[in-house]
Amino acid sequence: MSQRNGTIRLEVRNVIKNFGGLQALKGVTLNIEGPQLVGLIGPNGAGKTTLTNIITGLLKPSQGQVWFNGKRIDTLRPYHIARLGIGRTFQVTRAFRRMTVLENMLAPGLVKHPYMSRKELEKRAYEIMEFLTIDHLRHEMGGNLSGGQQKLLELARLLMLEPDLIILDEPFAGVHPKLQRTIYDYIQRVREQGKAIILISHDMESIFTLSERLVVLNFGEIIADGPPEEVKNDPAVIEAYLGKEEEDEFI
Amino acid sequence: MWPIPDILLDINFFQITSSYIFRLILEGLLIGIIYSLMALGLTLIFSVLNIVSFAHGEFYMIGGYVVYVLLTRFKGMPGLVGIVVAALVTFLIGAVFERLFLQPMAKGKVDRPSEYAILVTFGLSFFLQFVLLGIMGPFPKKAPRFWSFPPIDLGVIRTTKATLFLGNIPLSGGRIFAAIIALLALGAMLWFMFRTWTGWALQAVSQDRNAAAVVGINPLTMNTLAFALGAMLAGLAGAVLVTVFSWVPWVGVPASAKSFVIIVLGGMGSIPGSLVGGLILGVVESLGTGLFPDPARAQAYRDVFGLIIFALVLWLKPTGLFGREL
Repeated sequence: MSQRNGTIRLEVRNVIKNFGGLQALKGVTLNIEGPQLVGLIGPNGAGKTTLTNIITGLLKPSQGQVWFNGKRIDTLRPYHIARLGIGRTFQVTRAFRRMTVLENMLAPGLVKHPYMSRKELEKRAYEIMEFLTIDHLRHEMGGNLSGGQQKLLELARLLMLEPDLIILDEPFAGVHPKLQRTIYDYIQRVREQGKAIILISHDMESIFTLSERLVVLNFGEIIADGPPEEVKNDPAVIEAYLGKEEEDEFI
Repeated sequence: MWPIPDILLDINFFQITSSYIFRLILEGLLIGIIYSLMALGLTLIFSVLNIVSFAHGEFYMIGGYVVYVLLTRFKGMPGLVGIVVAALVTFLIGAVFERLFLQPMAKGKVDRPSEYAILVTFGLSFFLQFVLLGIMGPFPKKAPRFWSFPPIDLGVIRTTKATLFLGNIPLSGGRIFAAIIALLALGAMLWFMFRTWTGWALQAVSQDRNAAAVVGINPLTMNTLAFALGAMLAGLAGAVLVTVFSWVPWVGVPASAKSFVIIVLGGMGSIPGSLVGGLILGVVESLGTGLFPDPARAQAYRDVFGLIIFALVLWLKPTGLFGREL
């Protein structure tokens, strides 16, 4: 896996996203600079997935801009953004089900290195598969893998694209504890390579352990942003997760 | 003599021989390979663009006319050159049409995209039919035969210039030649789909557009490529059959209907389904026509057998032979 050189800079500038009458994001501003592991948390419906979809080009913002490494990207198509160096996984895994594990990996690998020999590319793919413990499944169809194995395949596929910024949407959800450990190691290893990571998870233990910075979204707004220890005790965050005291009494 | 004993079968209405049935099956398989080629094109378009192209038969028609025009205007031109040109012409028309008329749909600039796709491909179908009617006229054309068998006499296998005999079974050389070219094209296409990056990219887009896009594959380029390749496969089918059948501007209409039958029979979007479906349709049509009690009307009912299969599949197994459960 390649080592990242230079600075990574993502700027989300006052992004608003409307779905009909519903405002999913209400002017979100977020800067991520340099290698960093940023945890993005928030209750269900807070706007986390909408924000990642906007960063990766799957949704266009209603207002606001997104910049990556000095280039405006909110006007670009998802494949273009991916080629610029932003990779992601999905909350519900989206491996190519009727392609083998190896083909799943070679497809993005050849996007990144169109002129690299097949042998060299396969060697890279095997290294990544080995690290993620799915090398024995390389000729298996993506759709035949278990849910956890498909998560690992998505992570492996992502690395073949060699992105600078990686967005992981619920990587631990529905995964066997043994495989969770593999994913945990994966995240640490990718972070050590100097990449920026946005980690979205409901697994609070993992996210507080792994993150260097925690951003909390609630009802489409950032309500806290800082070191995990600080955010943990933020009254607004506690309120967002546990509700107001009066509400509890009312219930 | 042919090693299989020629058994006399007494089937209700008239007496037929086992070698006659064997001949019907062989002829069905030969034409079935070409049906498969055409259906593979429609499958490719359906699985990547998620639309059914109602202009598929017109690419078949254009492929045939390109070969006809080249072979009649440029005497002595090798037939294979005509076939390659037909493939290129249909590929280009397909690519330009997709860019101009289908890409706005993929970019989300069109309301009601499914209805739009039906209308715009129907429009292309009529447009091409009438343009070719204007250029080529309504009278049937048939391209000259540009190949002939070398003289072979191995006992079981004998040839004349235009016919191959398997024992006592005569097989049309035109169909054999067309089936060989179609088989080569099918092989090349399958290699392309399953062994090259572009093939994987096409498969990835057909399976999950967004997941393909976030790993750097441009779905719009794949749309254009899939439509152009689909059109080219139909064009190739026409190019190899123009020496076998008479060609008129509406020759693509039944060909298109057959492709629909095959992809429903094989399972929408299934590559193995379109290959097997084509062979089944070819054999069913051949047996149905050959065994029809009234030989005078048998040819007129040829397309009916495919449509009966179409109805039966929709009734009994709507997902087709290789289709995924909905």
